[in-house]
Amino acid sequence: MAAMSTGRRRRTTDLVILGLTAGFALLWLLPILWVVVMSLKPNAELMRSTAGFVPLPFTLDNYINLMKMETVPRWLLHSLVVAVVMTALVLVVSSMAGYAFARLRFPFKKTLFLLVMAGLMVPEQSIFIPLHTMISGWGLHNTHFALIMPRVAVPIGVFLMTQFFRSIPKELEEAAEIDHASRLTVFLKIMLPLSVPALTTLGLFTFIFAWNDFLWPLVSATRADMYTVTVGLASIQSNFAFSEGLGSVMASAVFASLPIMLLFLIFQRFIVAGVAMNAGK
Amino acid sequence: MATPRTPARRKEALTALLFLAPFLVAYGILLVYPFFKGLWMSLHDWELAGNFREFVGVLNYEDLWADPIFWKAVGNTLLFVVMTVPSMTLLALLLALAVNGRGRLKGILRSIFFMSSVFSVSVVTLIWSMVLNADNGLLVPLFRWFGATPINFLGNATFAMPALTVTTLWWGVGLPMALFLAALSQIPPELYEAAELDHAGRLTTLFRITLPSIRNTLLLVLVLQIVGQFQIFGQPHLMTQGGPANRTKMLVQYIYETSFRDWQVGYASAMAFALFLLMLGFAMAQLWLGRREDA
Amino acid sequence: MRNLKTFRALALATLLATTASAGSAGAVDISLLRFFGECNTEYGTVTDISKANGECGIITVLTNKFNAENTLGAKVVTQTVEWGAYYDQLTATYSTGNIPDVAVMHASVMPNFSGRDLLTPLSGPLKELGIPSDDFVPAALKNATANGEIYALPFDLHALLFHVNMDLMKQANMANPDGSPMLPKSADELIAQGKKFKEATGKPFIASESQSAEGMMVRFFDTLMWQQGVDVVSADGKAASIDTPEGLNAAKLISAIYSEGLANPALDYPGSEQAFLNGEAGILLNGTWGVDNYDSQAKSGKAALKSYRVANVPQLFANQKVWADSHMWVIPKDENRSAEKTKAAEAFLKFLYDNNYEWSRTGHLSVRQSVLDSAAFKALPHRNEFAATATNATALPQVQNQRAVYNAMITDLNAMWLTGTEPQAALSAMQAGVERVLRRNR
Repeated sequence: MAAMSTGRRRRTTDLVILGLTAGFALLWLLPILWVVVMSLKPNAELMRSTAGFVPLPFTLDNYINLMKMETVPRWLLHSLVVAVVMTALVLVVSSMAGYAFARLRFPFKKTLFLLVMAGLMVPEQSIFIPLHTMISGWGLHNTHFALIMPRVAVPIGVFLMTQFFRSIPKELEEAAEIDHASRLTVFLKIMLPLSVPALTTLGLFTFIFAWNDFLWPLVSATRADMYTVTVGLASIQSNFAFSEGLGSVMASAVFASLPIMLLFLIFQRFIVAGVAMNAGK
Repeated sequence: MATPRTPARRKEALTALLFLAPFLVAYGILLVYPFFKGLWMSLHDWELAGNFREFVGVLNYEDLWADPIFWKAVGNTLLFVVMTVPSMTLLALLLALAVNGRGRLKGILRSIFFMSSVFSVSVVTLIWSMVLNADNGLLVPLFRWFGATPINFLGNATFAMPALTVTTLWWGVGLPMALFLAALSQIPPELYEAAELDHAGRLTTLFRITLPSIRNTLLLVLVLQIVGQFQIFGQPHLMTQGGPANRTKMLVQYIYETSFRDWQVGYASAMAFALFLLMLGFAMAQLWLGRREDA
Repeated sequence: MRNLKTFRALALATLLATTASAGSAGAVDISLLRFFGECNTEYGTVTDISKANGECGIITVLTNKFNAENTLGAKVVTQTVEWGAYYDQLTATYSTGNIPDVAVMHASVMPNFSGRDLLTPLSGPLKELGIPSDDFVPAALKNATANGEIYALPFDLHALLFHVNMDLMKQANMANPDGSPMLPKSADELIAQGKKFKEATGKPFIASESQSAEGMMVRFFDTLMWQQGVDVVSADGKAASIDTPEGLNAAKLISAIYSEGLANPALDYPGSEQAFLNGEAGILLNGTWGVDNYDSQAKSGKAALKSYRVANVPQLFANQKVWADSHMWVIPKDENRSAEKTKAAEAFLKFLYDNNYEWSRTGHLSVRQSVLDSAAFKALPHRNEFAATATNATALPQVQNQRAVYNAMITDLNAMWLTGTEPQAALSAMQAGVERVLRRNR
């Protein structure tokens, strides 16, 4: 009897906590909801008042103007290209290096690995100035190359992949080695398929990092038609707000966030799973 | 263990080199070289535009030592870390505990709290600049309801920093929450079953079983947060411009302004090196603490 | 149609992945980098200049008009940058390689660029275009000149003004019989008047941008220093005279404006304009660029501000001086610019020069004597109310790193009301901050 009432009390508490959390989640969403609502109101109305969560008077003009100007779609495209290519390159480069460190024997391996790991200590902000000077010298600013390449050599990627490859049982490859498969075949046919979880995690985090990258694109992409979404939206925050109107700015923000939101909704289970894998180490 | 023949060894080393080459080339050219180039630049009066470069030895470092804004920026950055990291960790942990487990609603709640981390920094600052605006912000009707004058959070010496912290919490709590969720899911259920048999209370279970089980994740979150929040740039750059009166001027922002606003790339490189040393200090401290924990 | 165009642009951008160039029409595209805001929604297709109002509207329509009418087949492609980030962006183009063909530049900033050989000399081209340098008012020409060479086409002189709500002034018994506002003649009187105003109306006397971005009060501080015969930065750009008795007078006055509650320290730039237009303050401290806008707002009847007047910033000390700067157009130096582009850029400058009157409709002072003397200019609203500003206008000395100096001053001056720093402490900090910048001047 006593146990049952404890159980009921426990369940009630659970419900209360869940209710409170749900309430908090609504509060959490409120700013987003507000921004979406503002993006659906006419600019003139917003000059008068920004209050309220009902988009009345309703208009799609802000979004139509957005498409007309072509700038925001262009920024989106740059962000997508940069994020996709950067993610692909990071995955290739890191997994190859990780495989070498995890499985191959070569001289000075330990020293080299330490040298690479030392790179973990160098924050990107402490090298962005010389990088900027170098890429100026090559005349490559305002290109996708400049936005992507400085982000490809990430020691953390090598570290993650090395750790992961080391955790894969050696027997799996040894079977292949008896078949005289080449290292490349082993890597491509055995190691990579086994490391899909690790690759997913690394890929997702690289993608989100690329998408949110701000300081470097801010100084490298200075031409409005080469902006990424992050830099472009930053540039219009104060530029448009009082001349073009708040509604337009909000519509740009909403529109620019849609792809990453979609991506998140599709991949969210992988994110948690991927994190679980790495945290469990 | 068999001793491999030399040709095989050589072949393997060559293969390794091929596997390593893409990374090493990129690493050497785009990380190692710029690092040393930055050091070299910091010994110059080096201007962003034009061609002026003059070797000045350690003058930039002497200037740095005597520059009150630099120290203010360091202080502000540390203050921001101190304000953000514990609150972020605590919030992430509470949320993770609240939304951990099965159920459709919990899944939705997990998504909601994680979702805000996928927005660009400029979207986040845009949203929060609007929310906190004293003129037409989200909170203005609330203030008026109570008959109070709305607080201009971002322009207020007392509230500007907390406002940046709140913005950062909203933006960043998703990842640590996910880390905690992952750790929670790996606690063996038997531990909880045992606790239940003992009629252990909720809090007892939390402090006796849950927290000790996720100790490593807690450390990981703290380390990641400290490193991450130390590099804060977008929020103050876009929301407060370092104001009011430099109360929210952060180190990376000062580096950016010195180099790209005031053209003094050499001086900014000295600051960037100082940033590196600070982060190195943190890393060493963590390593040392980690060692002690293990011992 | 519209969707198709968007789709095509997307497809094009994909193809040109690494070197996406936005060029579409026009034989010669020239790039224009400027601030003044973006208002394409309102003026994107307008070419009738008489329809345009305000800085953003007028420059946008002038650009459209040039694109529509010029015979070179030239098309000006505008990139707008927000005021605060403008010079960062312009500077960056020299290293990122998309140097604009025409750019706007403040006179106070020009020495930074001309001193490093980053601008195209314009003495020769101006002569060829038939732009007589003797029609420029002397101050404007001086602004555009460095070491005997002209590096910029002056476009306006702009100065600090008192924008006045006369209804509120009358309510406070501070209007003269001729309709002009009663303005203070000393620092003490300003505070006394402000208190009187506040008592009578219950509103702050002054509205001004008071946050960390614009530095409106730095301009007022400079003004007060010149009125006492002191240059904040010496003409050779080596020394600062901020931490001085005169500086203390100026800082104490500004500090008192806030500590006596005569100005709301929470206002940012749009907030200060809004407060003035909503009839929440007697005087708006802002530049010439606002005149046209406030005038039309007051006339429209939609704003709480009904009776708008302009006044020179009053003389509070020995000399009648006021802070001023100048917008100018430059052709940034670019070794790779083609002759056609240079020619088109110069034609655009000539066009802007020819339409200098249109720009002065914003409230700015024209840089052409012939425009200033013209009946049309004199007939513009309120111009006679601040005629003296043209002669009182004082520019900063042409020294390097004015912008860094300005930024260093904003922070520590604003600290007086934002964080409660004492005037003397603020002065010491400003002096140290400015000296740190000047130390690197050559």
